[in-house]
Amino acid sequence: MSAFPTLSARVRLPLDRFDLDVGFETTHRVTGVFGVSGSGKTSLLETIAGLRRRATGRIRFGDDVWLDTPGRRFVPPEARGVGYLPQDSLLFPHKTVLGNLRSGMRRAMRNAVDAEGTLHNVVEVLGIGPLLERDPATLSGGERQRVALGRALCSGPRLLLLDEPLASLDAGIRRRVLPFLDRVREQFDVPMLLISHNPIEVQALCDDLIVLRDGAIIARGEPRSVLTRSEVFPIAENEGFENILPGVLVETSGETSLVRLGAHETDPLIVAPRSRQRPGSRLMLSVPASDITLSAARPTGLSARNILPARVDHIRDIGFWRLLSARISEHAPPLVVEVTSAAIDELGLAPGVELFLIIKARSFSLYEAPEAA
Amino acid sequence: MTESTLVALRSTLLWASLATVLVMLPGALLAYALARFEFFGKRVLSTVAGLPLVLPPTAVGYLLLRLLSSDGPLGRETLGIDLDILLTWKAVVLACAVMSAPLVIRTARVSFEGVDPRYEGMARTLGHGPVATFFQYTLPMASRGLIAAVILGFTRAMGEFGATIIIAGNIPGRTQTLATAIFSAQQAGQDAEADFLLVIALLVGFGAIFTTEYLSRKPIAAAAR
Repeated sequence: MSAFPTLSARVRLPLDRFDLDVGFETTHRVTGVFGVSGSGKTSLLETIAGLRRRATGRIRFGDDVWLDTPGRRFVPPEARGVGYLPQDSLLFPHKTVLGNLRSGMRRAMRNAVDAEGTLHNVVEVLGIGPLLERDPATLSGGERQRVALGRALCSGPRLLLLDEPLASLDAGIRRRVLPFLDRVREQFDVPMLLISHNPIEVQALCDDLIVLRDGAIIARGEPRSVLTRSEVFPIAENEGFENILPGVLVETSGETSLVRLGAHETDPLIVAPRSRQRPGSRLMLSVPASDITLSAARPTGLSARNILPARVDHIRDIGFWRLLSARISEHAPPLVVEVTSAAIDELGLAPGVELFLIIKARSFSLYEAPEAA
Repeated sequence: MTESTLVALRSTLLWASLATVLVMLPGALLAYALARFEFFGKRVLSTVAGLPLVLPPTAVGYLLLRLLSSDGPLGRETLGIDLDILLTWKAVVLACAVMSAPLVIRTARVSFEGVDPRYEGMARTLGHGPVATFFQYTLPMASRGLIAAVILGFTRAMGEFGATIIIAGNIPGRTQTLATAIFSAQQAGQDAEADFLLVIALLVGFGAIFTTEYLSRKPIAAAAR
């Protein structure tokens, strides 16, 4: 994995209810900014894009200084070389889909990017070939977001700024668009700053997570671990905690698929609903923390398809119940389980204790893109 | 049909077009400034730009006459040169331009206000400078409203009477327009002449309003999903 240029920002921007006042530095591939709506996330992104003239402070990306208020330096948005995906796509209504994709290509060519090659690649990866001649007004929400993402990628950006790429989509479409973002993450060598109030999105895509509340950073770190902290969890809790797990499809038979959680031969296999992908494909699964049952001994005579041996990593008190993290392998991320404190006492659960996780195949949701053409 | 009526018709089309062109460029820029920026004196400027809409056209004509008369601020004695505007075709164009300016500016301003400035921000992040953004993104997105502004400005110019008759007069073959020709024909009892001009005026007016109605239709509703 190549190292990415350092993005460092220390900025201040007066907003209606509070001041945005943050400082951070990151070299990760995907850095997430998490928080409820109205916490200053979009303002932060627009400040980095150069769209907020009233912001003060310092922003540096690699060797370039984009903002330096004491030094009276402000680099306008057109000279920053960022790709911006706003929450509501903002596709230009007077251009076709292809026209939109091409609208940043002159900059790409100025920067000696192989613009036509990139366009080709983007169309392929995002699966928007059949849409090219369409009028943006006729696209569905998911299609619009993919085209807007493509437009940002075609402009030869050095940094991608993604504002709630999935927020405007309903759950079903979100499940189909998320894999496209994952593909972009894997296939384009561009660092991203991704804003979201959706725990699934940040777990699936981010390497590093910054949590924002009322314009200030309140937590930072590895996404899964940050999201289960007691000061962050209530923010994330909308429909309960969802575990997001990357996996590789092993085989499909009947109404279920066998998925390996991780890339290693020794990583655990789970039974999930049937996938349309080919064996060997990467995919993402989610399982709600409330859908996992714990057992102290290996149960028998159960209909549930997955009985996974695990070891308790840690238990966090989030006020109303506990979040238990359990490891099912060396490499795979721990699974988070919602349990009551009574259950913890009764089973004698504590870090290091071995137990079994029981999960129905149907409890897993697959996040998969329609098969690439 | 007298020769001078045909001349008046032809000239009216030419002068109204000239006046529209003259008003459109500065008018659109002013409209954009009013739509997008906050600056000192914005309300006063916007009010002054709207005045010809509410003043009696003859008052505007008289004001122009005072400005341009030989001892006025724009007259021969003040400037040292004679602009030679009064009672010529230039006066017609000037009267038409001034009287249609508020309509043009207002319509253009509304159409610029209808373009979400975030589209402009988007274009900037894609590498376009402010000027390129204006011409390649803002203008095309505001184009329906701007075309409506052109049509309304042009028809207002064609119908101009009050200010025109004061600074340009009603000289057949020289400064007579459609509007003043109807007046002359009616006054002289030449009913056939007046009827003919009325039909022309009706046709032009109907076509103009109908076109703006057509333009103001909502674009194809976005697929709601």
